Amino acid sequence: MDTPTELLQQARELLAAHPVVDGHNDLPWALREHVRYDLDRLDIAADQRGRLHTDIPRLRAGGVGAQFWSVYVRSDMAGDTAVSATLEQIDVVDQLLERYPADLARALSAEDMEIARDEGRIASLMGAEGGHSINNSLATLRALYALGVRYMTLTHNDNIAWADSATDEPAVGGLSAFGHEVVREMNRLGMLVDLSHVAETTMRHALATSVAPVIFSHSSARAVCDHPRNIPDEVLALLAANGGVAMATFVPKFILPAAVEWTRAADENMRAHGLHHLDTTPQAMKIHEAFEAANPRPVATAATVADHLDHMRDVAGIDHIGIGGDFDGTAFTPAGLDDVAGYPNLVAELLRRGWSDADLAKLTWQNAVRVLRAAEDVAADLQATRGPSIATITELDAL
Amino acid sequence: MADLHDSSSLTTVDSVGLEDLDELNDLDGLDVLGGRGAPVSAPPDHGPSPGPPGDPLVRAAGLLRTHPVIDGYSGLAPVLRSMHWYDLEAGESLLETDVPRLRSGGVCAQFWSLQEPAGSAGSPSLGATIELIDVVRATVSQCPEGLRLALSADELADSRNCGRVAALLGPMAGEALGDSLAVLRAVYALGVRSVTLAGARWTQGGLTPFGHEMVREMNRLGVLVDLSGCTTDTMRRTLRITRAPVVFSHQAEPLPDDVLHALRGNHGVCMVPCTAGTLPATADLLEHVRETAGPEAVAISGAYDTGLPHAAGLNDVSCLPRLLAELLERGWPESEVMGLTWSNMARVLRGAEFAARAAQPRRAPSRAAIGALDL
Repeated sequence: MDTPTELLQQARELLAAHPVVDGHNDLPWALREHVRYDLDRLDIAADQRGRLHTDIPRLRAGGVGAQFWSVYVRSDMAGDTAVSATLEQIDVVDQLLERYPADLARALSAEDMEIARDEGRIASLMGAEGGHSINNSLATLRALYALGVRYMTLTHNDNIAWADSATDEPAVGGLSAFGHEVVREMNRLGMLVDLSHVAETTMRHALATSVAPVIFSHSSARAVCDHPRNIPDEVLALLAANGGVAMATFVPKFILPAAVEWTRAADENMRAHGLHHLDTTPQAMKIHEAFEAANPRPVATAATVADHLDHMRDVAGIDHIGIGGDFDGTAFTPAGLDDVAGYPNLVAELLRRGWSDADLAKLTWQNAVRVLRAAEDVAADLQATRGPSIATITELDAL
Repeated sequence: MADLHDSSSLTTVDSVGLEDLDELNDLDGLDVLGGRGAPVSAPPDHGPSPGPPGDPLVRAAGLLRTHPVIDGYSGLAPVLRSMHWYDLEAGESLLETDVPRLRSGGVCAQFWSLQEPAGSAGSPSLGATIELIDVVRATVSQCPEGLRLALSADELADSRNCGRVAALLGPMAGEALGDSLAVLRAVYALGVRSVTLAGARWTQGGLTPFGHEMVREMNRLGVLVDLSGCTTDTMRRTLRITRAPVVFSHQAEPLPDDVLHALRGNHGVCMVPCTAGTLPATADLLEHVRETAGPEAVAISGAYDTGLPHAAGLNDVSCLPRLLAELLERGWPESEVMGLTWSNMARVLRGAEFAARAAQPRRAPSRAAIGALDL
C-alpha cells in the first residue's frame, strides 16, 4: 500500500501529463466584487490566499491545465443590464489574458487547449452561466460565441422565459419552443450546452434536442446527496448515449447531506430573524456567526467528492465524468480542496480507491477535451446545411 | 453572364422609377461605369455609352474606377431586419440599395448604421445594436460575390481590389453602450468601427469627464468618433481632446465655421448626406465644407434606406455619379473629387488605426466607471 505522500506524488505526476480541465471558476465575478475589475489592485500572479480561492501559483500547484472561467452575472439581472454585465465579465477575462500571457492562453477550441497544455500554459475558456445573459436573443448568443464563450448554462438559480431552473418553481416545464431553438443554435455554433443549475425536465428536453454532447459544468450525483443542483441517476445514465460529461462539483452544501441540512437550518435561522438568507451585512453576519458557534458546520472532504465520482463513474461511465470545482463561486470548500491547489488531493484519494491512471486521465483531461472537439465537429456539419437561426421568442413561444 | 447583367440593369432602371424619361436618359450615362453586377474594375460588357468628350458624367465614371465611393451612412441594416426575404445580389426594388446599384453608383464601401431610423420609438439599446450587427454579418455572408465585411483600412482596400463592396459596422448609438467601457471594447471585438456620441448622457454640457474617457478609449481602440447630430459644445470639446480624426457620418445641418476649422486641424471628415432638398443644394453643402474646412475634409454619405427623402436625381445609391458630375461642372479639380469619394475617408480610417497603435503601448484599457467620474 502506498503512503499518503507517495499517493500525492503519483497524483502530481499524473496531473503533469493529464492536467485538470475545470468546468467552472468564478474568478471574474470575484474580481468584480473585490476590486471593481481593477487588476492593478489584485494581482493573481501573487499569492491571494485568504482573499480568493484562485491565483496563478495555486492553479499551477493544483495541476490545472485548462479552466472554463465563468462569465456569470446575477440571475436577477435581465435585458441589456444582463448582457452588458456579461460583456464586462468577458472583458475582464480578456484583460487577464493580456496581463498574464506566460501563464494563461486564450483557448477557443479543443486544439487550443492541447496547444496551451503543450506550451505549459493554462488554457482559458469562457462559459456563460444562465440564459439571462443572452436576453432572449439568438443574435446575442452568436455575439457571445464570437467573443469566445464556449458553453452556456441554460439557467442559473432562477427560471428564465424559455427554461426552468432546478431551484425555482416549474414554469414552462423544461424548455419552451424557443428554448429548444436556443439548444439547436448552440449546436450549430459549437457552444456546449451546460445543464448544471437546470430542472430535471430541462435536462431531459435538452438531451433530447441536442445533437452534440452536453456538459454539466459543476454538478454532482443526486443519489449520493439529494440536492436539486445534482444530477439524477436516470439523467446520468443518458450521458453515455449523448457522449457528454458531468463535471463533479465541490460545493459542500450540494454534496454533503449533513451540509445540506445545516445550510437549510442556517437559512431558516436567518429568515426567523427577518433577514434574507444571503444577507451579508454586519448585523446579519453576527446572527449567522452565533448560529455557526452553536451548530458547528459539517465539513466535506476530498473523500466526499470521491464518493460522488465513484457513483458517477458507475452510472454514467468513465468516459462521461469530469471536474468542476466552482472555486470563488462558493463561500465554503471541502477540507483538502480548499482552493485551486487542492486537485492533487482529490486525485490521490481516487488513486487510493484504486482508480487506474488511464481512468484518471479521462477524468481530469481527456473527457472534457473530447466533448468540446465533438461539439466543434457537430457544428461544422450543421453549418454546412443550416444558416443562423432567425427565430424569435415572440414567434416561437407566442409571447 | 451577359444575361445576368442585362437583368440587373433592368432592376436599376426600375428602381429609379419610370416616371421621367429624362431620368432614363441620365441613367444611360451611368452605364459607363460598367457596373451592372460586374466588379468595378472589370471591363464593361457593352463598352461606355458614347457621351460627348468631357461630359462630366463620363469624367465622374472615370474617377470612380480608381476612387470609388466610401459611403458614410446606410440605413439598410434595420430595414433588412424587418424584411422577410430579400436578395441584394440580384437586386431589390423595394430598397434604395442593392449590389447592382452599388456597382452602378461606383460605391466600394458603406458604413452600415447600427441605429434605428430617426423617430423610432424607444431609446437605442445594446440588444438592438447586437441584433443589427448580426443582420449585417448574416447579410454579408449571404452575398459573398457582392459584399465583404471590412474591419480595417487594409481590409477595405482588399475588398475594393477584389471588386466587392465593403460593409463596415457602424455607427452605433453611443447611448447603447450603457455607460460601459467594457461594452465598448466588446462591440469593437464584434467589429463595430464607429460610434455616434449624440444622445449619450455623458455628452451633457459638451462632454463629461466620463465622456472624455469614452472618447479616449475609442481612440485607443481605433473606433471612429462620430459627431453627427451632437451639440456644438460636444463637437468643440471632442475636437479638442480626441487624438484621432473624427467623422460626421451624416451631417445635414451646416456646421459652424469654428467647428469646421477645428475639423481641418483634426484631419477628420464631414460626410454630407444626399438628403438636401435638391441635388444642387447637396452640392452647396459640400462646397461649404470644402471652402471652410478644406477639400481634405469632405466626404459623402448616401443616407439611403434611412427613410429620409432624397433629392430628385439622387433617388438611390446608383445615382451618386450625378452628384460628382455636378461638382466637376462647378469646377472642382478631379483630385478633390477623388478625395471626396475615396481618399479622405480612407485616410481617416488609417489615421484612427494609427492613433490606436500609438496609444495601445502607452495606455491600458480604461476601467473608469461613470459613477466615479461624473458625480
